[in-house]
Amino acid sequence: MHRAFGSVRAVAGVDLVARPGRVTALVGPNGSGKTTLLLILAGLLTPDAGTVRVAGSDPVTQSFATRARTGWMPDAFGTWDSLTAREVLTTFAAAYRLPAAVGAARATELLALVHLEEYADRPASVLSRGQKQRLGLARALVHDPDVLLLDEPASGLDPRSRVDLRVLVRELAARGKTVLISSHVLTELDEMADDAVFLSRGRTVASETVGEAATTRRTWRVRALDPFALHAWLTGAGVPFAVEPDGAALVDLDSDTSAAALLRDAVVAGVPVVASAPAGGILEQAYLALEEERR
Amino acid sequence: MSTQQSLSPARPESPDTAAPPQDRGDWALSWHGVKTVATLELRQRVRSTRWKIALVVWFVVVGGITLLTSGALSFMTGYDDSDVQQGPIIFGAVVFFVLFLGLLVAPTLSASAINGDRNAGTLATLQVTLLTAAEIVVGKLVAAWSAALAFLVVSVPFIAWALVAGGVSFLSLVTTVLLLAVLLAVVCAIGLGFSALTTKTSGSAVLTYLTVAGLTVVSLILFGLTTPLVTYQTEIRAWAVADDHDWESDEIPECEWQTFESPQTHTELTWWLLAVNPFVIVADAAPETTVSDDEEYFSASDPLSLIRTGVRVARMGPQAEQDWCGAYEPGYVSPVENPEIDDSPVWPWGLGANLLLGAGGVVLAVRRLRIPSGKLPRGTRVA
Repeated sequence: MHRAFGSVRAVAGVDLVARPGRVTALVGPNGSGKTTLLLILAGLLTPDAGTVRVAGSDPVTQSFATRARTGWMPDAFGTWDSLTAREVLTTFAAAYRLPAAVGAARATELLALVHLEEYADRPASVLSRGQKQRLGLARALVHDPDVLLLDEPASGLDPRSRVDLRVLVRELAARGKTVLISSHVLTELDEMADDAVFLSRGRTVASETVGEAATTRRTWRVRALDPFALHAWLTGAGVPFAVEPDGAALVDLDSDTSAAALLRDAVVAGVPVVASAPAGGILEQAYLALEEERR
Repeated sequence: MSTQQSLSPARPESPDTAAPPQDRGDWALSWHGVKTVATLELRQRVRSTRWKIALVVWFVVVGGITLLTSGALSFMTGYDDSDVQQGPIIFGAVVFFVLFLGLLVAPTLSASAINGDRNAGTLATLQVTLLTAAEIVVGKLVAAWSAALAFLVVSVPFIAWALVAGGVSFLSLVTTVLLLAVLLAVVCAIGLGFSALTTKTSGSAVLTYLTVAGLTVVSLILFGLTTPLVTYQTEIRAWAVADDHDWESDEIPECEWQTFESPQTHTELTWWLLAVNPFVIVADAAPETTVSDDEEYFSASDPLSLIRTGVRVARMGPQAEQDWCGAYEPGYVSPVENPEIDDSPVWPWGLGANLLLGAGGVVLAVRRLRIPSGKLPRGTRVA
């Protein structure tokens, strides 16, 4: 049904595949080429070299076919201040050549989806940043695209909206859409993304699934009521660890299985463990690990 | 707020509405697309500017000028029953004033249409939709033009006033208003082209005003300043006093045909500087005023007729045969025939040049809005 693939030298060597029905996270520091890559995929920029396929068509030579099936939400965008939220959506529906009646129905539906019903008939200028962000997301969905390109969709959203965004993105993926989402809030992507592509200085440095990342070696943070008992037990068990200011221990473990085993052994040994969790998100650790490798 | 979320497909299953988008070029135009952009622009514009106030101010200013013009005319011609017709003079004054104000207002309506949207981050989101570049540009042009036409419509009552004063045909009114509308469209199109070219809205506004000034004022100044350049010794035949005439005597000088090398100003080389002027275009295209009984061309003294005659004379350049002898005796009949003024209109040339400029603006804007684009406009993010 859909495949997105890119090898874009303009960004200095990006190679990525985003699969339908999955959420692919685009991770990278500021200026790593995430936005440029999305601009190319959205069909706004031509790559200098390389091939791009979005929804099976080339955004350069088959611009129209690609645009019909791609929804793009830019990181920084404006709205027409004098138009109401509903008018913004119906205008875009018309721009995507939806019949007026369909466009109006679609606008109502999307406004409900992003919880902007009460602002539907007020000018977009009264919307807060987060509300504009939600309107932008609704706008990207107007024509029910097969491929969604979301550039920092969560920035400016309140916690409630972030949860809604996550649920929505998962639902879209479940319906077979391809979602490519860029962000540097990595913990958030952990819960949304199936795959992750790491970009750095315009090139892909790694590409893995979030599931894979969970099985790679990472740091766990173990906290106990009695830190000294914990430290004594860890020393006795021969597990290397680092101590945090609050007495918690940081332990490098190679998999979730090892983490479970460690916790069980500690509890059996009578250590009053309160919490044992990965220190930082899966993607965050993978990302930091990559940063270290490059140094 | 509910957490229950659902999404239905935007494309309904019924086949009649689900026409698959066909690949369309950058130049493809559809009424639907143009209308979408124009509606968007007009909504945005009408709500965001002090629209009604601007129109009221315009109405008052044009009305005031009309009143003052006709008042001044009555004052000057009030004492004699001369056959000076006020209609054509009022008509000319009001039309020129409306054109002048229109040329001032039209650039502001379009010169920030594209770079303003780009700066506000709304352009790229439109570009990625199924609208073609041409639809976006033409839509914006239609919106800017409609706004300009609103000002023109408000002025029509005063232009029509001249009809009441007499001497102006209804046809004059129609052709002149149409021509004003076309000229405003040209200025809007030029503004649109510049707004696609520059990053800053102030830059495009300045460039548009410079272009308008170039067409109206600079071209006129150039016409004057180039006079020495096109003035050179030319051989002409002149009916002049004989060389051997004794000026001390009381004899009436005899005239004869002579050939002279004389400096002549060849305005037939520079008349086009006048022709591109919007004011000249309007004046030249206005149907001749119904000058009463007098057949002679120069009798029409309203501003439009004077300009029309002036530019047509300039187009002919110097006469090959000239009378340097006349008026030495009463009842004198010159052997040199009064020059027949070339009656073919000048305005199609001027209008053509202006339309080319406007078309250039549109083409430039469309080329600049094509996606995917090879490079980013300097200093801007695409969004």
